[in-house]
Amino acid sequence: MTLLAAATVTDQLLPARLQMAFTLGFHIILACFGVGLPVLMLVAEWRFLKTGDRLWQTLARRWSKAFAVLFAVGAVSGTVLSFELGLLWPELMGQWGAVVGLPFTMEGFAFFLEAIFAGIYLYGWERLPARVHWWTGWPIAVSGFLSAVFVVTANSWMNAPAGFRLVDGKPVDIDPLAAMFNAASGAQVTHMVVAAYLVTGFSVAAFYALCLLRRQSDEYCRRAFTLALLLALVFVPVQMLVGDWSAKVVARTQPVKLAAMEGQFQTERRAPLRIGGIPDAATRETRYAIEIPGGLSFLSYSDFNAEVKGLNDFPAQDTPPVAVVHLAFQIMVGIGSLMALMAAYCAFNYAKHRAWPQTQWFLWSAVGMGPLSILAMEAGWVVTEVGRQPWIVYGYMRTSEAVTMAPGVWTVFGTTMAIYLVIGVATVTALRRLASAPMSEVTHGA
Amino acid sequence: MGPDDVLLIVMLTALTLYAILGGADFGAGIWEFTTAMQATDRERQHIYKAIGPVWEANHVWLIFVLVILMNGFPAAFAALSRALWLPLLLALCGILFRGSAYIFRSYGTGSGRERVFWESVFAIASTATPLFLGSAAGAVASGKLMIPTDTTSAVDFVVGWISALTVFTGFYSVALCAYLSAVFLLREARQIGDEPLTTLWRQRALSTGLWVGVLSFGGLVMVAIEAPALAQGFLNRGWPLVIASLLCGIGSLVEVWRLNCTRAAIAAGGAVTAVIWGWGISQYPAIIPPAITASSAKAPDNVLWMMLGVISLGAVFLLPALAYLLVLFKREQRLDA
Ligand code: HDD
Ligand code: HEM
Ligand code: HEM
Repeated sequence: MTLLAAATVTDQLLPARLQMAFTLGFHIILACFGVGLPVLMLVAEWRFLKTGDRLWQTLARRWSKAFAVLFAVGAVSGTVLSFELGLLWPELMGQWGAVVGLPFTMEGFAFFLEAIFAGIYLYGWERLPARVHWWTGWPIAVSGFLSAVFVVTANSWMNAPAGFRLVDGKPVDIDPLAAMFNAASGAQVTHMVVAAYLVTGFSVAAFYALCLLRRQSDEYCRRAFTLALLLALVFVPVQMLVGDWSAKVVARTQPVKLAAMEGQFQTERRAPLRIGGIPDAATRETRYAIEIPGGLSFLSYSDFNAEVKGLNDFPAQDTPPVAVVHLAFQIMVGIGSLMALMAAYCAFNYAKHRAWPQTQWFLWSAVGMGPLSILAMEAGWVVTEVGRQPWIVYGYMRTSEAVTMAPGVWTVFGTTMAIYLVIGVATVTALRRLASAPMSEVTHGA
Repeated sequence: MGPDDVLLIVMLTALTLYAILGGADFGAGIWEFTTAMQATDRERQHIYKAIGPVWEANHVWLIFVLVILMNGFPAAFAALSRALWLPLLLALCGILFRGSAYIFRSYGTGSGRERVFWESVFAIASTATPLFLGSAAGAVASGKLMIPTDTTSAVDFVVGWISALTVFTGFYSVALCAYLSAVFLLREARQIGDEPLTTLWRQRALSTGLWVGVLSFGGLVMVAIEAPALAQGFLNRGWPLVIASLLCGIGSLVEVWRLNCTRAAIAAGGAVTAVIWGWGISQYPAIIPPAITASSAKAPDNVLWMMLGVISLGAVFLLPALAYLLVLFKREQRLDA
């Protein structure tokens, strides 16, 4: 009987995790634009108000249309997530809803304000005086930012649970604010919000870099490119520092995740920082990595001789899949470093020539950086989420204890993939149509 | 009155607003479904224009209900997620397709065939969503909803929620949405002074209104047979609201007839409000009758107080913003014409 039950949990777990990962991974891309695009729109519209130059207004309007599409798809995919928290993981909220629910309630308000002002902003171009219209864009940017803050505090609580005491397996003495402001929330929230600006900046810049490659002298594309790239590059150094902060927090709150990120099997002092490499769970070592002696100890604990706990010191049933976490971490940091390189090159070029780099080569690398920034963000989430396994609430509830017992999860997952494929393709098609619409139509249309 | 009662009131209010505002939105989609073949471009534009600026906001009310349940009554949230696995998945599918179809139709400046495709998707999804959400509500109201445990058989998990009452409430919700939307669209047509559209929507409102009236009486009979506990609640406590809903319903029909459109809209909204509150009050203190009640499912009081604090604070920002949106797009139309 127990054997049978165990088998069913395993059957449920894989499709449920895939389903959650896939729908979250989809939503988060849209969420990034929901946070970042309003900022670009506001800046462009502000330039228009300042200079009266119609081109800026055209830009703001075109972006607002793209925003409308992305926002709507983001909203429906987010609704899916809210239901899934219950449908796939009924015991997660059943057990912990009282502790971790508050940020979701707050998020509800942030969404609401965002949806209201999105309606006003998008349909108000003709109805409102120019300056008032600009101001109605502000709440969108602010509440997009706040949605991200609130929802990530909920996630960070899953990594560093706080704000309750456990008595007979039930949480008591619940303090929702302490749960919200847990050890991981500061770093995680900042890192995510900055990631959202990076993704928006680099993706939009990538689009206009393509445009510039086709039509070198197009003023419209040049402005859009410059503005978007500026947003991204400003945040690149910030993200490096915050990433370091994140790593230090992980070292403190989830040492086993840190060990998995770094492919650190042995507990050792002067642990090396590994660049690349393939962790082998069978032989318990990470091969082919470039090792910087003491690097990991220093980055995690600001001390070259600090001891870093290795995976071997944790019970096997408490360790995450090492290879995935390590690889994802390498991808994120690798792409982060490329971004830093690009930012440094631009700064250098600006200092020397007082101008933006113009070479084809540079534009092509900007094109590449769009998808790469999204990849970095997804990889970061894989580190966070897969690195937390086998826990859904770190140290308190295993993912297998939360999963639904409903039948047909594989079917649901298959159907979801098909539906999201249709919606994904349609979203990209709609965006491409908007982009290729004649300029005048955009300027005078709704 | 403890914080859980206050929170229940907030939740029921959000549910009511979702039913009225979101319901009218769904109704517009349902009408597209039934009229897809004959609808003129003019008629389509009328519908688009009416829901364009507000539909996103109208649908956040559902999220709101969900997060309050999740945070304030976590045990009820978990139980509903288990028991309503299938209808919620289907409703979710509807929500997903409805939102995306709407946006692709408005912004994908594609070919005629593509637009027709998304229009059909929009119409079907607009019908399916209230159908399944309504069934889910009926399953709760029936008082017989089985909460699956880990040993429940797969078949029970999937069909355990179905009963005559759930089928009825599913279709009843669709009818209510269609009626609400006909009345709201009548009001907008009248405001812009469009004679043919006014006549059209008046006819539609009257005919669906009569159907909803018949269904409502049928529903009372159905509740008496299928859900005796709820019927008892109606007799004990809920009856004034039942009467109110009948009066509002009849009143709205009369006002539609007399083309007092704003009054008709208010009365129609009142009828829906009375149905929902009548249900809630009759089954109080149960959230999922018979076993799960507000006090057995609630989070600790300090959490509930904090939620109420957050909600009050949020309302300070939310309500003026919402009022601004509605005034901007729902009142000014007269000036446009
Ligand atoms: C454009 C995106 C991007 C870039 C360039 C980076 N990150 Fe990142 N990272 C994320 C986007 C991201 C993320 C997707 O936003 C995550 C997932 C969860 C979170 O809070 O942020 C994340 C998580 C995350 C975590 C795990 C946090 C946890 O599990 O709680 C660590 C340790 C780092 N990052 C460290 C870094 C370092 C050292 C970087 C320097 C190069 C870096 N990240 C660049
Ligand atoms: C703040 C928001 C988030 C919350 C509340 C959240 C919550 C969850 C939950 C409940 C699960 C299932 C249980 C588990 O496997 O531990 C999960 C798994 C997962 N999530 Fe997240 N998540 C969030 C953000 C994200 C994002 C943005 C991504 C982007 C890719 C992501 C990627 C994943 C992955 C890959 C898994 C599967 C991990 C595994 O099972 O191995 N998560 N998340
Ligand atoms: C790191 C993770 C996440 C971030 C940064 C994020 C951010 C956002 C943002 C900015 C929006 C608003 C608009 C848009 O999509 O463009 C949004 C929508 C939404 N998100 Fe997420 N989200 C995350 C994960 C989640 C999770 C885990 C849930 C579910 C529990 C969720 C539920 C929702 C809902 C319900 C909406 C729609 C609200 C509406 O109707 O307007 N999100 N999210």
